[in-house]
Order: sequence, then structure tokens, then C-alpha cells
Amino acid sequence: MKERITTYGLIGKFALSLIAVVVIQGILAYRIRVFEYFDMPLILSIYYGFTLGRPVPSVIIGTSIGLLQDSLSGVPMGTNGFSKTLIGYLAATAGSKFDVDLPVTRAIAIFLFTVGDGFIISLLGLMTGFAANSSYDLLWKWIVTGVFNAFLGMLMFGYHDRVTHAAS
Amino acid sequence: MRTVIDSKKPAWITLAVALVFNTLLLSAQTSKHFDTSFVRVWLLASLGPFEKLVDAGVEGVENIWTGYIDLIHVHRDNEKLLAENGQLRMELSQKSEDALEIARLRQLMDLRARPIGKTVVARVIGKDPSQGGQNMTIDKGTKSGIGRDVTILTSDGVVGRVISSSDYFSVVQLITDSQSAVGFIVRSSRRLGILKGTGGAELEMVYIDDDNDIKQGDELITSGQDQIYPKGISLGTVLSVGPRQGNFKIVRIRPSVNFGHLEEVLCMTDHLPEVPTGQAP
Repeated sequence: MKERITTYGLIGKFALSLIAVVVIQGILAYRIRVFEYFDMPLILSIYYGFTLGRPVPSVIIGTSIGLLQDSLSGVPMGTNGFSKTLIGYLAATAGSKFDVDLPVTRAIAIFLFTVGDGFIISLLGLMTGFAANSSYDLLWKWIVTGVFNAFLGMLMFGYHDRVTHAAS
Repeated sequence: MRTVIDSKKPAWITLAVALVFNTLLLSAQTSKHFDTSFVRVWLLASLGPFEKLVDAGVEGVENIWTGYIDLIHVHRDNEKLLAENGQLRMELSQKSEDALEIARLRQLMDLRARPIGKTVVARVIGKDPSQGGQNMTIDKGTKSGIGRDVTILTSDGVVGRVISSSDYFSVVQLITDSQSAVGFIVRSSRRLGILKGTGGAELEMVYIDDDNDIKQGDELITSGQDQIYPKGISLGTVLSVGPRQGNFKIVRIRPSVNFGHLEEVLCMTDHLPEVPTGQAP
């Protein structure tokens, strides 16, 4: 019984953090324009992938956060879901097989995952007929978002490391 | 749930299931046989209250700052506003006379005044959480009569249209979104055309060849021919008429609405075929 409560508590914690990140991203992008260049749901997918290092929960987290993001966007449902699923899986695989504790490795990984996310979303957009009609600044946007995400990701991972070390 | 998460089965099975699920969802939306809008509506209805709650908290902090702490220039601004108010009162009185004259002339010419359709005021509570997304969330939904394709405007002009609604929340596609298209008329020359969003801050005219008289500074209003936006609402101003690229020219438009400062918007729940404001004289 106690184990079941713990499991539900864990699921609840994950669900709340996913909802909070999508909502906060929406509010901050509206209130503070610079947040348009961040993709906090993507950072969270990578964060859980790296820190859990287990592909199954990372895939579930990626799909859930992607679908939540799609519901507040104009893109077809499943676009971000597909992309974040793949990124969650790749981040968890990388987290379990490679040493992702180095800040430089993490920053490069977040940057590459951001560009990959942009590419997958654009590709799915082309396939479903929802692609952006002017792609002249698309690559530039991915690069800027990648740099911003890498910076914010470093802060989040740094905070996680401090909390983990303090607890142990 | 624990058994799923801790499953010893290869993780790629979970990955394959999740990817197939998302692919099916995407495919269902491109097909006309399946209606998957309920998934979006359900998620929007679940996320909306959280978004409204956080937005109210942020606004409360902002109000404390602007209402109590940041009052340094209030006295100076007050004097300036009083002077402006006096001038505006004089102008209003003059305009009232003009309005009465127009009403008399309308009566003489047997023209009926065309009022704007039924509108509902909504508050913007969030923006698209995706990379470079051009959508926003408002705090009114189907319970307030807002459904798909309802026109959203401000006093400056067209903001966009509703693309999905739950009972109390709606997602609005801005006219700057790359999937958005609006029919326009050039106010001075009455030339018709189509404006598309660029996914950035500007709009772009499509299918403009050399044989046109569009020039920088031209004002554009909605044509009503897209069957979504009512005729006569301000859209924007021509920013640049570029050189020909391929078969057509690149014409960039600055929208009338400043999308960075949207707080309240009007939702036209029941618009009439034409709106009097902004029509050519």
C-alpha cells in the first residue's frame, strides 16, 4: 500500500512538473519576450533523460510534455509529441551510456538536441502541410534557441547537481 | 504503472509505441474522416486553469509594482495627461458635430449605419510554448460563444482567429503565423490580394507581380473575401516593396497591431458582413 502511494506520488510529481513547465513557458514568452527563444519543455525532456538515464520513463515524459505543448500551439497534435519522445529516448540512452556530467558535454548536447528538435518539427510540418512558408531565418532561430537553451540548461543542471550533492 | 516504468523489456518497444501513437495522431488530423480535435480541447481545458492561475499571480505582482512602488513620474505624467485631456475634449466635441452631420447625410442618402457585430472582451493569458510559435491563449471559450474561426481584434486592427476552443479557453492563431492567410484591400487603390504570415513580426503579400501600383506606406484593410475576417478592419502598412524574386515581388507589411503588448482583445462572436471603420471614403 505504502509502495503504491509512493509510486502515485512520484507520478504526480512528474505530472505537475510537466504542466508547470509548459504553463510557465507560455506565460513567460508572453510577458518577457526573450523567453520566446527558450524551449523549457525541451530542456526538461533532456534533463529527465540525462538524470534518470532510463529510456522508458524518459519516452513517457517526452510524449506527455510534447502533447501538452501541442495543445497550446497551432501545430497539429503529435508534432512536439513525436519530437520530444525521440529526444527523451536519445537523451536517456546518452545519459546511460556516456558521461554527461561535464558541463561542456551537457551544453553541446542541449544545443544539438534543440537544433534536432527544430529540424524534426519542420520536417513533420512539411509532411503534414503545416510548414512555415518562409524558412530564411529558420536555421538562425534554431541556433539562437540552441544557445539560449544550452545556457538555461546549464543553470538547471547546476542547480540539480547542488541539490543532489547537498542531499548526499 | 511501476511495472511499465521498470519494465525489463527493451526500451525501443516503448519508443516504437509512443512514436506510432504520435504518428497516428498526426495522420488523423490530415485525414477528414477522423476528428481528433477532442484531444486538443481536453488538454486545453486541463491546462487553461493552471495558465490563468499563474497569469493572475504574475499580474498581481506587476500591479503591486506599478500601483505602489513605481510611482516616481506620476505627478509629471498627471499634468501632461490633464493637458492632453483638455485638447481631446475639444477635438471630441468637433468630431461629435461631424458625426451628426454624417448621420444626417446618411439619412438623406437612405443609407443605414452598419454597427459592428456582437463582441466579447477576452484577456490574453499566455503565448505559444513552442519554438517560434505565433499563437496565444485567451480566457474565453465556447461558453462565451467563441468557437473556431471567430475573429480576434483590438482597436488597432486584426489580431487573428480562433483555431481551437474548450469551454473556458481558446487558442488564437495570430495573423503573423506562417499558416495564416488574410484577404486584403489596399485602402487607396482598392487592389485586392492575400497576406500571409511569415512566422516573424511581419506579414508578406503573395502573388504580387510587376503589374501593380502598391507602394511603401499604403494602408491595408481586410477584404472579407476569405470568409473569416469581416471587411474593413485595419491590417497594416506596406513596409517595403522588394525586387522581383522568381515570378513575384516580395512585399513586406508591418501589422497595425503590436503583438508584443496585447492584454485584452475583442472576439467577434457574430460579425456582420462589413464593418464601417476603416472603409474607404
